[in-house]
Amino acid sequence: MDITNLPIRKLNTLFSKKELKPSELYSQIFDNAANSEASLHAHLTLFEDENIKKAKESDLRFDSGTSESLLDGIPIAIKDNINIKGYKTTCSSKMLSNYTSPYDATVIKKLNERQTLFTGKTNLDEFAMGSSTENSAFGLTRNPWDTDFVPGGSSGGSAASVGARSSVAALGSDTGGSIRQPASFCGLVGFKPTYGTVSRYGLIAFASSLDQIGPITKTVDDSRIIFSAISGDDPRDATSIVNNQLDIPSDKTAKIGVIKELMGDGISDEARNEVNKVTEILKSSGYEVKEISIPIIELAISIYYLIAPAECSANLARFDGVRYGLRVDGKTSYEMMENTRAEGFGKEVKRRILLGTYALSAGYYDEYYGKALQARKEMIEGFIKAFNEVDYLISPTTPTQAFKAGEKTSNPLEMYMSDLCTIPANLAGLPAISIPTGVTSDNLPLGVQVMSRALSDDSLLNFSEIIEKEVQFNQQPKGWM
Amino acid sequence: MSLQPTIGIETHIELNTNTKMFCRCGVVDTEDPNISLCPTCLGLPGALPVPNKKAIESITLLALSTGCEITRKGMFHRKNYFYPDLPKNYQISQFDLPVGLNGELEIVIEETTDNIQIERVHMEEDTGKSTHSGSGRIESATSTALDFNRSGVPLVEIVTKPVITSSKQAVAYIEELRQLAIDLNISEGRLEKGNLRFDANISVAPEGSSELGTKVEIKNMNSLRSLERAIDYEIERQTKAVEDGVEIIQETRHWDENKELTSTMRSKEGSADYRYFSDPDLPNMYLSEDFINQVKSSMPQLPKKQREELVDTGLTLKQANILSKSDVWIKSLYFKVHKQTKDSEASFNWITGELQGQMRKSSIEKLPEWFSYEYLSEIIELIKNSKISFTSAKVILSELLNTDTTPNEVAEQKNLFQENDTDKISEMIVQILEENQDVVDRIKTGEDKLVGFLVGQVMKQSNGSVNPGMAKELLLKKIKD
Repeated sequence: MDITNLPIRKLNTLFSKKELKPSELYSQIFDNAANSEASLHAHLTLFEDENIKKAKESDLRFDSGTSESLLDGIPIAIKDNINIKGYKTTCSSKMLSNYTSPYDATVIKKLNERQTLFTGKTNLDEFAMGSSTENSAFGLTRNPWDTDFVPGGSSGGSAASVGARSSVAALGSDTGGSIRQPASFCGLVGFKPTYGTVSRYGLIAFASSLDQIGPITKTVDDSRIIFSAISGDDPRDATSIVNNQLDIPSDKTAKIGVIKELMGDGISDEARNEVNKVTEILKSSGYEVKEISIPIIELAISIYYLIAPAECSANLARFDGVRYGLRVDGKTSYEMMENTRAEGFGKEVKRRILLGTYALSAGYYDEYYGKALQARKEMIEGFIKAFNEVDYLISPTTPTQAFKAGEKTSNPLEMYMSDLCTIPANLAGLPAISIPTGVTSDNLPLGVQVMSRALSDDSLLNFSEIIEKEVQFNQQPKGWM
Repeated sequence: MSLQPTIGIETHIELNTNTKMFCRCGVVDTEDPNISLCPTCLGLPGALPVPNKKAIESITLLALSTGCEITRKGMFHRKNYFYPDLPKNYQISQFDLPVGLNGELEIVIEETTDNIQIERVHMEEDTGKSTHSGSGRIESATSTALDFNRSGVPLVEIVTKPVITSSKQAVAYIEELRQLAIDLNISEGRLEKGNLRFDANISVAPEGSSELGTKVEIKNMNSLRSLERAIDYEIERQTKAVEDGVEIIQETRHWDENKELTSTMRSKEGSADYRYFSDPDLPNMYLSEDFINQVKSSMPQLPKKQREELVDTGLTLKQANILSKSDVWIKSLYFKVHKQTKDSEASFNWITGELQGQMRKSSIEKLPEWFSYEYLSEIIELIKNSKISFTSAKVILSELLNTDTTPNEVAEQKNLFQENDTDKISEMIVQILEENQDVVDRIKTGEDKLVGFLVGQVMKQSNGSVNPGMAKELLLKKIKD
């Protein structure tokens, strides 16, 4: 038994029974990271010394029977767009390569209260813009299943870290699929909660109305444990909401819909087969499964690439060299700001800032951003209608398995298409999860996505756990432990 | 062709809340730079805004007091522009859904009133402060120092319709608005501290024309004097341009306080496109019926109503206006003294004239504790009953401001009570007439004015204790007999 393969609840039981110490687990986890890092580059920073100390404190709590948290001593990796006080928070950007955060994000505060260990900060596409973790100013991350392939993105470092068992779980952020897509590419569970249930305070914004922090884990239960720890209304985030959960059935009385628009052109046979495999299992267990059409989903990418860049064009305006981060001198303040932004941002970030600035410009607002807002409303209504008929919506998480590093870097539109299935949940603010269900002929994992009504996260996790149990996906990448 | 100027004014009022608009940093009044800062008002990556409820109450109060329609479902927008003292490089403001719309404010000029139409009242946050060394302008500064204490301080912007027709009206409007803000207790209203800052939009058009001329915006006026001068200068400049057939360009002009002229800041072609869009960090702001009623119930007496009450005591509108714009203690002193003396004219003159004049002269900021309003009533009564002269009354008042005593005591001590006994005065007069037979002769031949000289002699003789009116009357009677 490799302890780094165990789910959180099992680890906690072993700690409580004094059959395993948190410091022993951490030492194994750190060894895995040390072994895999050169090949994968999942992390930008690894925290070692402070964790040895913190793990020993966990040991003492379990020794004395005073530990009260399921997450006590559990090593979790943090995406490097989430602020941890006293540590660098770079967003994988040259712009913030020297930036040390003076404050903790709310999710970090909550995990600290539960005595979690932070293994380190994970790599991402710069400012979370991308689907492959190739847009990092500090070098790409590779897929632990096959290093020729990308781990997905933008939370690719988090997924690769959990995939290689360099952490027990990880936090990512999901704006258009950035948790679910890399989870699917790395054979993991990736959960994007209902918008507002997890505070965004301290998450460096890409697109504020879409961003949501969530877990990348080996099991659905691990996601449940982390979600329960990090969710809740936050007085520092005006968009956060009280986590009052709807109770939706997850047993056979639940009705399942397969989204027609996400099973057609542009979806690989292998991805479609995974969905069919799951629905067959559900049917044979007695669930009612039917096809549901939400036509506006076909516009999801167009809507997303107006709204997300528009918001990002304002969110990233603060990086100007004036108060922190990179500064490239100029003859005047304005020249300094221009030089800093020209040098500090990478190509994809600049592309999106330009797109968003254009979409919001006088004379174009109504045509682009205004229309996108309208279509987003229709998308929300489309989902409300669908959820009048069914309780859970199933689709592939990604149109294809992981692609090769470098394969799509010269074609941004093709790269954008890899978020086709995941974007709708962000636009509608819905909870969505990717569950690993199989491997392809290239021996790369694939997952299916399940979505449900806003604020039915707990029910979605219960239902996902049923799929997890039925599918029995138990493969893992080799060679890192 | 006669030209008619049209002016619209945008005023920023800095609120007197304890904390900033979107974070919990204190609003501080200090020269020490950068002492009241947090991740939010410094625009650190990942920080989020949360609205200040007290500020929303204040702006709602202002909007209600000016008779605005309240936007029940309001919204915050981002106004995008780059400037080193704007930490996020966008300002959180309001765009098409401001808190208040379509109000009016009554202003007073001399003995007449006017209603100034108000277009909108909206909420926003202040910027930091830049100090450009060298030229004072960012474009040519050798360095710029930044202080972010002011960053995020709540500002209310109140915009008039283009209905103001003269610099006099503009000044009266700002005076009225300032007093309103003070009476509502939403701002310190101190112009010298920049609590109120204003921009004016000015155009000229032929009298009777239904269309407005090309408008020019004047910025950087920081006192009522500069507002008046800048408007007068600009009206004259534009009038001359039209008369000379020179085209007026739509532009923003800068008021140069020292040279007393306006000069081009930027033309319309160079004007910023602010790319307003609703701030995704701030959910819609619903002002409930209950909230509005609660704000309404906290409404104090408005300056307009106060003026009406003052006019009812017998003051002219102009006098009432002066009092309504005076400090609270002066207003209440007036009401108390008037209640006792029933003499509005004397109460007004003694308080706004002699009392304030002496206090200013002696640099006394507030009335000494022992100073009772009844002293003023007594002084007024003493004069009215010819017990003391006006000159003596001034002496008494001065004494009362410096010593804990009473008007009667001072009059007694300084022997200031007037002689009103006809016999005693007549006795004195006989002697004076004898000593000044030549003057008496000249008066008899028609040089009536010389009687003043004789009154002076009587006063001198009596150490000022004679009622001069009576002395004059008796002198003339004796001479003409």
